[in-house]
Parts: sequence; C-alpha cells; structure tokens
Amino acid sequence: MTVAKLIDTTLCIGCKACEVACQEWNDQEYTLGTFGGTYQTMPDLAHNFWNLIKFNEMERDGGTSWLMSKYQCMHCAEAGCLAACPAPGAIVARPNGTIDFVQDNCIGCGYCITGCPFDVPRLSPTTKKVYKCSLCSDRTAVGLEPACIKTCPTNCLTFGERDELVRIAEARSTELKADGFPDAGVYNPQGVGGTNVLYVLKHASEPEQYGLPKDPHIPLSVSLWKGPMKWLGTLMFWGTILGTFLHFVIYGPQDPSKHGHPEKEDEPRDRA
Amino acid sequence: MTEPDEIRIPRFDAYERVMHWMAALSFGYATLTGLAIWSPKLYWMGTMLGGGFHIRGTHPWSGVVFAVMIGVMFRRWAAGMGLDADDRVWLTRLHNYATHDHGALPPSGRFNAGQKMLFWSQVATTLALFATGMVLWFPEWMPRSLRLASIALHPLAAIGSITSILVHIYMGTAAVPQSMRAMLRGYVVPEWARFHHPKWYREWRASHRS
Repeated sequence: MTVAKLIDTTLCIGCKACEVACQEWNDQEYTLGTFGGTYQTMPDLAHNFWNLIKFNEMERDGGTSWLMSKYQCMHCAEAGCLAACPAPGAIVARPNGTIDFVQDNCIGCGYCITGCPFDVPRLSPTTKKVYKCSLCSDRTAVGLEPACIKTCPTNCLTFGERDELVRIAEARSTELKADGFPDAGVYNPQGVGGTNVLYVLKHASEPEQYGLPKDPHIPLSVSLWKGPMKWLGTLMFWGTILGTFLHFVIYGPQDPSKHGHPEKEDEPRDRA
Repeated sequence: MTEPDEIRIPRFDAYERVMHWMAALSFGYATLTGLAIWSPKLYWMGTMLGGGFHIRGTHPWSGVVFAVMIGVMFRRWAAGMGLDADDRVWLTRLHNYATHDHGALPPSGRFNAGQKMLFWSQVATTLALFATGMVLWFPEWMPRSLRLASIALHPLAAIGSITSILVHIYMGTAAVPQSMRAMLRGYVVPEWARFHHPKWYREWRASHRS
C-alpha cells in the first residue's frame, strides 16, 4: 500500500503548528530565523528544518492573495535524489512510497541536492551528511501518522492510502471550482511519476506562485550519467584493456633488434 | 640485466621522475575512488580505501594533487610538445607503428607524436576534470545549472582520461621494453634511443662526440 500526504492549501491558516511538531518529533535543534518581512519562520529549508510553511504573496484582481504552501520533500515515485545518489543504501524507496535518507550510508557528496527537482535536501555543515523530511517513517512504520498531520488544527493535512487521498483531492477541487475558483486542481506532477505529497491548489495552472515547479522531472544529466555514460565507460575501459592485451598477444613488444630498418642503419653504433 | 660499463643516456632527470610518479599515484587514487562513486558495482573499491564517506573527502584532494602535477609537467614539457612535420606524418601512420613496421615511420624527437597526443589529451581532460570537480566539491556554493552539467561532464572527461592512461600504462610496461626503466631510473641505452627516438638520439650524440 502506498501512503501519501494531502495538503489542502486552501485550508491552511499559516499557524505553523506542523513546523513545531516536525521539529519536536524529529528532535531538531531550533535555529534562530531571520526576519524577511513576512510571517514565514525561516527563509528556507535547512538540514535541521524539514518543513516550511511558505507565505507566498500573489497580486490578483487588484488585490493581494496569500497562498500558503508546505515546502517539504515530495516523496516522488521517480525520485531525482535517489537517481543521483552514488552511495548504495543511502537513499531508500520504502515499499509504502516513502523516500528515506539513511545517514549511516550517506557519503555527503550532495548529488541528491542537484538531482532533486524540488530543491529539498540540505547538507549539514557539521555532520557533512544530507537531511530532509522522512515522512516520519519511524512513526508510519508502527501505524502512526506523521507528526505534522497529527498536529494540524484545520484538517488541511491528511495522511492515508494514496489512491483514497487522490479521490479526496479531486472531490475537493471540484468543490472549489463550484465555489468560484475555476482554476482549482490537484498538484501531482507526472514528470516524476506522481508524488506522495499531494496538493490541492486554488490556482492549479500556476504552481510556481506556490513555489512549486510546473513540470518537475529527473534531470537529463543525471539520467545520462546513470544510463548511457555507464555503457560508454564500460565499453571504453574493457575495450582498451582487451585491445592492448590482444595487441601484445598478436604483435608482442617493440624490439629494436627485430623491428629495426636496414635502410636507416647509417647511424653508427656507439659501441662499435 | 645491464652491464656496469654500458653507455647510459639520461632521459628523465629526478625532477621529471618525481613529478611523473606523484601524478601517477594521485591519478591511481583518484581513479579508484572516482570509479567507486561512479558505479555502485565498483563501490567496493571505495570500501577498501576507507569507505564512501572517507573517499568523498579524499577524492577531490587527490584530484588537486594530480592537477598540480599536470601543471608542473606543463611547465616542464609543454615547449617541446608541439607537433613538427615528421610528427604529423607519424600520426597518419599510426597503424605502421602499431604493427611494428617502424621502417615506414618518420623519425621522432625526444617524444614521439603519440606521447605528445597523450600529453595534450591529459592537459585537456585535467582542465575539464578540475573545473567540473570544483563545482561538485562544493555543491552548496554552486548554481544548479553548473552542478547539473558537471555531474555528466566530470565522468565523461574521466572516461577519456582513464582510457588514454590505460594505453599509456600498456606502452610504458609491456609494449616498449626498457621504457619503465627510463622513468624509474632515468636513463636509456643508445640502442633504445636510436630506435625509438632517432632525432633525440642524434642530438645527444652530437653533444657527446668526444
């Protein structure tokens, strides 16, 4: 069974209780934020801050619209971080769809940061390893819902079976359309095979307004590196090893006494 | 193997030998650790050298040592690495060289055209590896577009570099007897010099005619 998290951004009141719950459950050190002229707690995600409620301001119909979004790992079906990771066992796709970082196996190369189309993983300057939302895999493994879901006071956040949540999200966007938001819809980008974090957006045709990429996918260079480049390298290395070995077997070493050329023997030998 | 009274022609002085073997050792280390990061199937190479986390820290430094050594080589050798008219003909007769048909080859100087090509290909791949390597070393300070390009270009340059070094190792060990002694001990015998590098040999003879 694939599990998922549904974020109905239209119900978010920006209370940030989910941020606190995340920090508490995952035992994260609190870092003093910076004031950027908004109600956001932090300007960005951090290695010890995995869940940020973004207060996106959007100019629309002569007024300002506040678009809340929950910036966190999307737990993609086809995860760019996992595709880019060179360390076996450092990034794991769990059977329930969770993309989990196993810091014991992480080598700290940061390739996942580059591979992620949502710019989520963060390198810790102290441990030199990478961290992000684990979908509270230590809670879901024993049948509990993630900490952020547990604490959300408005039911903006729902956790459950993915197929069921997709149905709920579709129904909710239909409701929103009827309520005067014709652009309402579900954010479940197919470029990464769908995500296990789903959004209901009032302005679904403009996910960028929420800080979400319009068409995320695994980067081409990562696919090249993990695909054709492996074949090219294997061919070149083994081809050269085999080629030079066979050359030796067929022709042997260069030998001045055998491969010399009489017509150039005009050079006097020194010993003579 | 060598008689005590044999004539020795100095080929590589101590400075050149040290710079070559510093480059070789750092290249070997960077290759093993790089291959470990390149493919999960070769990850055991990294495990043998201290584990993934350790080699992520050391691989860039071995690359820096290698790049510096290539820089030292460049200062020492670049002036003599230009292709002359004979070299250009030589390159068109690579098949004659490979099949030991040395009579068909124009004479080579201190370095033959193949060695010169190795030199310039190493200069080119090292520049590429160094530039992309710096980007991959400090991902948190680099723009994503550069990181994305480097993820593909770094291994591509490495494939070119490692392939040319595999040929180099074959040439320096099995294919051309006594060339290893030239790089380890620094000298060659006249017969070797006259056969492999006739123009260089003539220069030496002209300056040593007593």
